[in-house]
Amino acid sequence: MKPDTIKRGLFHGTPLYVITVLVLLAVLPLSILTAVTFGTMRLPVEDVYQVIRFELGRVFLGQPIPAEWAPGTPLHDVVWLIRLPRLVLAAAVGVGLSISGVVMQAIVKNPLADPYILGISSGASLGATVAVMLGVGMTLGPHYVGIMAFAGAFCVSMAVIALANVGGRANSVKLLLAGSALAAVCGAFSSFIIYVAHDDHSTAKIVNWTMGSLAAANWENNAAILVVALAGTLFFLTQHRTLNLMLLGDESAITLGTDLHRWRVAYLIVSSLMVGFAVYNAGVIGFVGLVVPHGARMLFGTDHKKLIPISALAGAVFLVWADVLCRTILPGNEMPVGILTSILGAPVFIYLMARKKYGFGGGD
Amino acid sequence: MKIEAKAVEAVLSGSQILRGVDLEIGDRELVGVIGPNGSGKSTLLKCIYRVLKPAAGAVYLDGRALDRYPYKESARCIAVVAQHNYYNFDFSVRDVVLMGRAPHKRALERDNAEDYSIVAESLETVGMSAFADRSFSTLSGGEQQRVILARALAQRTACLILDEPTNHLDIKYQLQLMDLVRGLDRTVVAAFHDLNIAAMYCDRLYAVKDGRVVGQGPPGRLLTPEFIREIYEVDAQIMTDTAGHVHILFYSGAGNAREG
Repeated sequence: MKPDTIKRGLFHGTPLYVITVLVLLAVLPLSILTAVTFGTMRLPVEDVYQVIRFELGRVFLGQPIPAEWAPGTPLHDVVWLIRLPRLVLAAAVGVGLSISGVVMQAIVKNPLADPYILGISSGASLGATVAVMLGVGMTLGPHYVGIMAFAGAFCVSMAVIALANVGGRANSVKLLLAGSALAAVCGAFSSFIIYVAHDDHSTAKIVNWTMGSLAAANWENNAAILVVALAGTLFFLTQHRTLNLMLLGDESAITLGTDLHRWRVAYLIVSSLMVGFAVYNAGVIGFVGLVVPHGARMLFGTDHKKLIPISALAGAVFLVWADVLCRTILPGNEMPVGILTSILGAPVFIYLMARKKYGFGGGD
Repeated sequence: MKIEAKAVEAVLSGSQILRGVDLEIGDRELVGVIGPNGSGKSTLLKCIYRVLKPAAGAVYLDGRALDRYPYKESARCIAVVAQHNYYNFDFSVRDVVLMGRAPHKRALERDNAEDYSIVAESLETVGMSAFADRSFSTLSGGEQQRVILARALAQRTACLILDEPTNHLDIKYQLQLMDLVRGLDRTVVAAFHDLNIAAMYCDRLYAVKDGRVVGQGPPGRLLTPEFIREIYEVDAQIMTDTAGHVHILFYSGAGNAREG
């Protein structure tokens, strides 16, 4: 760096996106701490923070919790076992869906790709339905539902790409058609299984799932999805060059030293894993992977070095606040978050489709 | 760096495009490939820059078969300005040129000050410094072509392959680009439609027709009216100016009576 740029103050010369990342890094915990005070039950703000303070002290420093804040008291349980895990889950799902959106858009070279639109969420949801209702994959261990959701997501993402490539190179129209066709197939099979099974309890669970809800969050499952979401994001952070090359196409990539083929499969596996875990924990939440990367791209361009950290953080913040809105918009009741993201996201999708030229190569 | 092709054959969707091409390009030689549309010029170049795998025969870099090179390594030897670069992304011009540094980078390596100075220098060389922050998709075809050349220069390779590099450029930039390429002092292989440009700049020309090399040699020796008639089926007259450069004049319509 030239000496004169260093002289000009703390932030001068620092790329705007670095500042944005720092701001978002601060906004995310603040959002969670603000969001935790909202809910159907009115709780004094100081009490909410006391619970969190004592619990953090217990978890990280091994300090005892005074009896009036201890587990079992309604205040503690609402804050620590219901509200907070749910917000952490919202953040993790936001990260997972946004990043897999970014990656899928690079893989198919099209800004309209998103786990929901390409039918991958439906595949995950079918995998989970098969596991819950029919007990398929029980031998895979305690997390078999998550594993089946991942398997469903991965099969559908491979199938979409294969279908779109039938009879010539994939383009946006064929991808979208392949995605909606497979989403319909998976949806039909899920419905069929639910209808035939006639198990009211499981049916309610699955229906909740297809609408997307964060209500079932618990710390145990959160740990798994947090690991997957963070590890996936870190992995893709190291892949920004290859992701950029994907947008140039196979030929240019080879002349720049990268054979994209095997990377494409690897990226599909990792992003399916992220989608699978998100769907397993929170059901089908659509359009997050479309809206968040689109916003990030409008502000910071297509370079994945910037796009990935910003999309991850913005996705987390977005879903935390979407969840707050869902819990407060209906008095005394809450709305599944998938409904809200679809209400917000579908118009963005339509706008993207209607726009003739989107600066991403999706011209055809 | 030396490039050799030995008995290269290529098949594209069932039809044989190259039927045994031999090519030898010496270190720091500027060699042009000429030939009519569909003769296999681009296909030949694609075999050299590894986008196409020859059906038979092989390409050698300094005597080592190309498919023995990892892709990263061959991308550090050969840079390419291909024919179609109509990307429509929101990449900035600087981002696009920076991709030329990719073959020099390990997965976790960051772009450092050296990369950025190479990028700036490459943009300077092609006269696009003022465009560094512009979005690539907003540039004209000729400007995009020069940015792609800058990306190839940023690769810092010993060889450069150009597929009809002057296609989108007006005459000023055609001459400017070719002056620049000749000044690079690297091994260059370029396909040309414009025989005058090819004759003006190349040390040697290969003429390709129907997937075979039908002639090669220095432009002044290779390009005769008879030869041009044979491969392009047009009438031409060759003039040599006072500086010893070859200029080709074409006559419209093969059937027209020609004087002199």
